[in-house]
Amino acid sequence: MKLHCLRLLPLALSLLVACGKPSVPPPVVVAPAPAKKGTIGVTLLTLQNPFFKVIGDSITAEAAKHGYDTIVLSADTDVARQANHVKDFIVKKCVAIVLSPCESRSIVPVIQEANAAGIPVLTVDIPCNEPGVKLLTQVATDNFGGGKEAGQAMIEALGAAGGKVAILHFKQAESCRLRVKGFREVIDAHNAKADAKINMVMELDGGGAKDVGYKAAEDALQAHGDLRGVFAINDPSALGARAAIEKAGKTAQIVIVGFDGQPEGKQAIKDGKIYADPIQFPDKMGIEIVRAIVKHSKGEDVPKELLIPTSLYRKADAMKDAELK
Amino acid sequence: MTSRSSALSRLLADYGMVVVLALLCAFFSFATHTDQHPTGTDAARQLAASITSQFGKSARVLIAVPSQSDAAAFADTLEATLTKAGVTVVATVKGEPKDARAAMQTAASAGKLDAIATTQASAAWLVFADLPTDFPALGKPPIVQPQTYRWPNFLKRDNLLNIANQIAVIAIVAIGMTLVIVGGGIDLSVGSLIALSAVVTGVLIRDGFGGTDAGSFGMIIASLLAIAASGVAGAINGGLVTRFGLPPFIVTLAMMLVASGGAFLLSHGQSVYQVPDSFVWLGRGADFLSLPNAVVLMVLLYLGAHIVMTRTVLGRYIYAVGGNRLAAEYSGVPIRRVLLATYVASGLLAGLGGVLLASQLKSGAPTYGGMYELYVIAAVVVGGASLNGGSGRMFGTLIGAFTIAVIQNGMNLMNVESYTQKVVLGLVILGAVLLDQLRRRASQRV
Repeated sequence: MKLHCLRLLPLALSLLVACGKPSVPPPVVVAPAPAKKGTIGVTLLTLQNPFFKVIGDSITAEAAKHGYDTIVLSADTDVARQANHVKDFIVKKCVAIVLSPCESRSIVPVIQEANAAGIPVLTVDIPCNEPGVKLLTQVATDNFGGGKEAGQAMIEALGAAGGKVAILHFKQAESCRLRVKGFREVIDAHNAKADAKINMVMELDGGGAKDVGYKAAEDALQAHGDLRGVFAINDPSALGARAAIEKAGKTAQIVIVGFDGQPEGKQAIKDGKIYADPIQFPDKMGIEIVRAIVKHSKGEDVPKELLIPTSLYRKADAMKDAELK
Repeated sequence: MTSRSSALSRLLADYGMVVVLALLCAFFSFATHTDQHPTGTDAARQLAASITSQFGKSARVLIAVPSQSDAAAFADTLEATLTKAGVTVVATVKGEPKDARAAMQTAASAGKLDAIATTQASAAWLVFADLPTDFPALGKPPIVQPQTYRWPNFLKRDNLLNIANQIAVIAIVAIGMTLVIVGGGIDLSVGSLIALSAVVTGVLIRDGFGGTDAGSFGMIIASLLAIAASGVAGAINGGLVTRFGLPPFIVTLAMMLVASGGAFLLSHGQSVYQVPDSFVWLGRGADFLSLPNAVVLMVLLYLGAHIVMTRTVLGRYIYAVGGNRLAAEYSGVPIRRVLLATYVASGLLAGLGGVLLASQLKSGAPTYGGMYELYVIAAVVVGGASLNGGSGRMFGTLIGAFTIAVIQNGMNLMNVESYTQKVVLGLVILGAVLLDQLRRRASQRV
C-alpha cells in the first residue's frame, strides 16, 4: 500500500508542476489578418435570471458580427467561482473580460490580475467602484432615471386623487437604492405643487422576489387598508404584491408600478395586473459592451460609464408587443 | 501474473480514478491544443533577425505591445536588438490601442513604415485593421509577430498551477470530509464554516488587530482564532452525534444554518475587506519553488493526513468504526472519541479553508462557501470513498478534487457555456463513480 502511494507521488507532482514548453522554432514573419480576432470572456452574476441570459446572448451575437468568439459563464453568485472564471480567461488570453461582479470588494484582486495581464476589463449591469482597479468602461441601466419614470407612472395612475403608496425595496442593491431615490424625487416634486398629495407611507423589504414581495405586500395591506399604490423595484416583487392584492380583493383600489420589463412582467402589464414598468434593455447593454471593446481596440476613446436609459412601458405598448401572447 | 503487474492492478484497484483523471487531462490537452505565442527575449531576438533580413537595415519599424510586463520586456529586447542592427525603431508603444493610434499619427508625418512589430495580443488590435484608409501616409506596413508553436492551453504551467490553486480550498476541506465519511458520518456544515471562518478572520483583523495596518502576528492570531472557532463548531457537531446519538445529517444541517446565519450577523451582511495587503500571502504568494503557498499547504496536509490514515492507531480506528461499528466497539475501540476527532478535524480544516479563501480574495464575506459542501462530498466520493463508511483513501480524495477542478477548468478553456458545464460535470461525476464501482466489482470477482 505504501509503495503504491510513493509511486503515485511523482504523478501527482508532475500534474502540479510539469510542463516545459517544446523547443521554439525560429520565428519567421507572419502575415496578419487572423480570421478570428480572439475570445471575449464573460462571467455574469447568474444565468438563472433571464435578464443576464439576455445580456450574455446579445454580447455573443454582437461579438460574432465583429469577428470575436465569446464564452459566457454563470458565477452562480459565488464570487470565488467568478474569480476562477477570470483566472481561466487570463490563461486563455481573452482579448477582453466582461463581468457583473458578485461582490464588488472581493472581486478586486482578480480584476487587478487581469489589469496586470494587460487585458481590458468591463463591467455590465453591476458596477465595481472600488479603488485600485482599472476598468475600460461600466455599462449599466440608468436606474436613477428609471426610478423617475416609475414616479411619473405612479402620478399618472393615481391621477388627481393622490393617496397612500408603499415601496417594496431591496436595499442591498445599489441599483435599487437609485431607483427608489429617483422615484421619491419625482413624487416629492409632485407633492410640492399638487393639492392631493401622494404619501409614501411605507418602505418594506420586498426581497426582489415573489414570495418575499407577497408577504411584504400583505403586511402593507394590514397596516394601510386604504393603500392606493405600490412601487416594486423589480417584476418578481411586483408580481408577489399583485398576488397579495388579489387575495385581499383590492385589485380595483391599488395600482402597481414595477421595474425591469421581464417577459412575465410585460405579460402582467398587458393583462392589466401591473400598471407600467420602466423597462431595461439588457440586449442594448450587451451591444454597448461589444461596441466599447471594438472602439477601444481601434484606439478610440471610451467613456468611463455608459448608462442605458429605461423607457416606460404601459398597457398600450404591451398590446402592440409581438412577443407577448 | 508477475508481481509487477499485480502491483499495477492493485494500484488501479486503490486509485482507479487516476485513470479517469489521466483520460480527462489527455482529452483536455487534445481539445485545447492551440497556437501559442511566445513573448520571451528569444522570440524578440528572432523576430528582430527576421525583420532585418526581410526588410533590410534601412527599415523603419513601429513596435506596439500591450501594457503588460512580459510584453514590455519583449518590446525592450526587440527595440534594442533592432537598433543594434541599424534598423530605425520609429516608436515603441507599451500600452493600449489608443497609444498605438497616437504613435502612428506622429509617425505618419515622418514617412512610411516598413513593418509594425507586435505580440499576438496587440496584433488583434483593430487599430491596425484598416491602415491604408486610416493612415495612408504610412504605406502598407505588414503586421509582424513571432512565429507560433502549438501547445495545449490546458498543459501550460500557469494553467496547471491555476487548477491546483483553484481547488486548494475544496481539497483541503475534503481531507476533513474524508475522515468523517470514512468514519461513517457526513458533515454538511463545512460550506458555512468556510464563510464563518473567513468572516471571523476579517472581523478580528479589522476590529482587533488594527485593520489594514495589522502585523503578521495579529493576522496569524486572527486566523488561528477563526480556525479554532470552526473547530469548536465541529466539536459541537461531533458531541451531538456521539453523546446523544443524533443523525449526523440533521446535526450538521442545523450547524450549516447556524454558522451561515452567524457569519451574516457578524459581518452585517457586508464583505469585510479592511485587511492589510500582506494578508494575501497565504492565498496568492508563491515562495517555495514558485509553487503557490496554497498548493504547498494542500500537499503537506495530504501527506500528513495520509500518514494519519495509514500509519497511526487513530487512522485504523476510524476505518474500524466506519466499517463495523459494533465490532469496533467490542474490540475496545473508543468509538465516541474517534468520531468526535473526525468532526473536530473537519471543522478545523473547513476553518483553514475559510482563512485561505479570505486570503485569496483579500476579504471575508458571509456568501463564501455556498454549495461547497456538495463539491467537497463529490470530491470524496469520486475519489473512491464509500458513503457507508469504512473505506476511502486520502490520495483518492485528492484525485477526486482534481477531477472536478480539471473538468471545470477544461470546459472554461474550451468555451463551453455554463448550462452545458453543469450537465457535463454532473454526468462525469456520475460516470466516474459508476466506472469505479464496476471496476471494483470486476476486481473482486477475479
